[in-house]
Amino acid sequence: MSNYYVRRTARVFATIFAVATLTFGLIRLLPGGPFTQLRAQLLRQGVPASEVDARISNLQNIDPNAPLWRQYLDYMGAVAQGNFGESISLGEPVAQIIAEAVPWTVFVVLVSTILMFAVGIFLGSLQAYWEGSRFDKAFSGLSIGLMSVPFYVVAVISLYVFAYQWGWLPTAGTVGTNVEKELSVPFVLSALEHSLLPIFSYTLGGIGGQALAMRGNSIQVLGNDYVRVARLRGLPDRRIATRYVARNAILPMYTGFLLLLGFRLSGTVILEQIFSYTGLGYYMFAALKANDYPLMMATFLIITVALIVGVYIADLTYSKIDPRISAGGSDEAY
Amino acid sequence: MTTDDPIIEINDAAVTYDGGETFVLDHVSMSIERGEILGIVGESGSGKSMFADSMLDAIPDPGRLSGEIRYHRDDGTTVDVLELSDDELREFRWEEVSMVFQGAMSSFNPTMKIGGHFRETLKAHDADVTSGMEFARELLSDLYLDPERVLTSYPHELSGGMQQRALIALSLVLEPEVLVMDEPTAALDLLMQRSILTLLEDLQEKYDLTMVFITHDLPLVAELADRMAVMYAFQLIEVGDREQLIANSGHPYTRALLNATPDIEAPLEEMRPIEGQSPAPINVPQGCAFAPRCPLATEECRVEDPASTQLDDDHAVACHYAEDARDEIALHFDRSEETVPVSGGDGS
Repeated sequence: MSNYYVRRTARVFATIFAVATLTFGLIRLLPGGPFTQLRAQLLRQGVPASEVDARISNLQNIDPNAPLWRQYLDYMGAVAQGNFGESISLGEPVAQIIAEAVPWTVFVVLVSTILMFAVGIFLGSLQAYWEGSRFDKAFSGLSIGLMSVPFYVVAVISLYVFAYQWGWLPTAGTVGTNVEKELSVPFVLSALEHSLLPIFSYTLGGIGGQALAMRGNSIQVLGNDYVRVARLRGLPDRRIATRYVARNAILPMYTGFLLLLGFRLSGTVILEQIFSYTGLGYYMFAALKANDYPLMMATFLIITVALIVGVYIADLTYSKIDPRISAGGSDEAY
Repeated sequence: MTTDDPIIEINDAAVTYDGGETFVLDHVSMSIERGEILGIVGESGSGKSMFADSMLDAIPDPGRLSGEIRYHRDDGTTVDVLELSDDELREFRWEEVSMVFQGAMSSFNPTMKIGGHFRETLKAHDADVTSGMEFARELLSDLYLDPERVLTSYPHELSGGMQQRALIALSLVLEPEVLVMDEPTAALDLLMQRSILTLLEDLQEKYDLTMVFITHDLPLVAELADRMAVMYAFQLIEVGDREQLIANSGHPYTRALLNATPDIEAPLEEMRPIEGQSPAPINVPQGCAFAPRCPLATEECRVEDPASTQLDDDHAVACHYAEDARDEIALHFDRSEETVPVSGGDGS
């Protein structure tokens, strides 16, 4: 069994290594090469050629004139030490930019994904209990409707209505410009205010899917003999609802939750663009526009690593929460 | 049919799912003697489970049960089960009459340990958990299970036979008077069926239980029951003392059923399947429901539904020609010699 954990952990590192290599290779393949534009720009500004080379190598931790394998080793070595180089467009170390951006993104993704599951599970189980009722039918329709509306449509509309038309909520940023960046009540309030719309629009569309999944699972569980036997044994309805129905219906959704967390991190590229919310996705898009390769590689790497870790946690913990599954079999999430 | 000390009297119990004239339990009356083992035999879809469920007023939704189910308590008081309030019913079930369903594998919550099922049942009925668990351990030992191992296991960690026995223990943990078993051995292999049967006999003696054992397996229940009843098309067509019912059955269906039962000692040529199919609830024939398949059926049978009549002492049959049936439908093999059940042991 411990052998399984070792193998599974080793695979995480192997996957991250492969992703880093792929990132490096893909960027080499981009037309014009990663630093051609930058070099041309610097040379036009009259910077001596030797200094241009030095600055570029400093930016990327690699010597642009070295053979490709040499550049690759230098890059991987630096990444392994947590050194992503320096951002071309922002002139700051990439690690620092990311350290400032990641908490905002994690906050929005975590809160909206948890909300999405909580509300979806709640509504889905109500639908299942009242299966076939008018509420159930109306909400099933609504769920399908919600699922078909992309989150960015909700984002744009809510931004227009709540921020621009009614002016209830800020239109951009993570906190107010006049708020000190320290852990204080005004800071937290301002942060919440700014995150409200991104979280709302990122949550709403997802609720439908989760509600339908929960509805289906619950109806299936409710039809099981053990629920009937539990009722006959005289158990209180509350206990049957939580310990019997909810638990068995939610279990299959657990893996999906961890995977979604990872996937939704990458969705923030669009979301944070709409709200000018300076998180990971915002910087990724900015890096893309500015040909800021070091920043681009780092953000891409972080998002992939988050997904890999999500699957890893799902694999390792599922056997802990579902007694029927034992770790190490073929019962992996992915 | 009279009984001296009935524990449950069922009068005119009927179950309908459309609120109309379609019955999946068609006005059945039966009285169950305190301390007896009653075997109910019938084909799939003959209303056996409805009969079992009605004793606990536990017909699955949206079915509706009418009639009268009188339960006589130990202390002499009588309640009508269908008149009980929700809370009273909650107490009545499992404390007075408890039930074992077909398919023990699906009767336990897959994400809860067996011990948890016992504890929550005791708690829900305000019973003392410590002494209740003590009793649960004793029950499990009686059923040849290792109590500690079973209580700390998840359902999937036990074999089918072990789950079935754990379920029987769970149904007895509140010391009910009556245990209703709906096809308790259907999912088990033959050896396990026999050993469970032996265990049930021991339990019945030790705890003074009244048992209602419902099955499609006639020879199986014939080994266990004191009295037997045969169901056909949602009605009880023959009720009687076990020996009487098997050796001297009066209903053509019962006799045909006995002739259709495989027996290792009987030559294959003597096996006689019953032609045709048993009716669905929506098209039960007029008159006697068995008439279309009955070799003795006459015009009278097709018009008039025979009432249950006393044939012998403690033997009632719903057939116009019960006496003729005994003469004209020969039983192909002698069933008066009981086959000895394969005895006990841990079949897991």
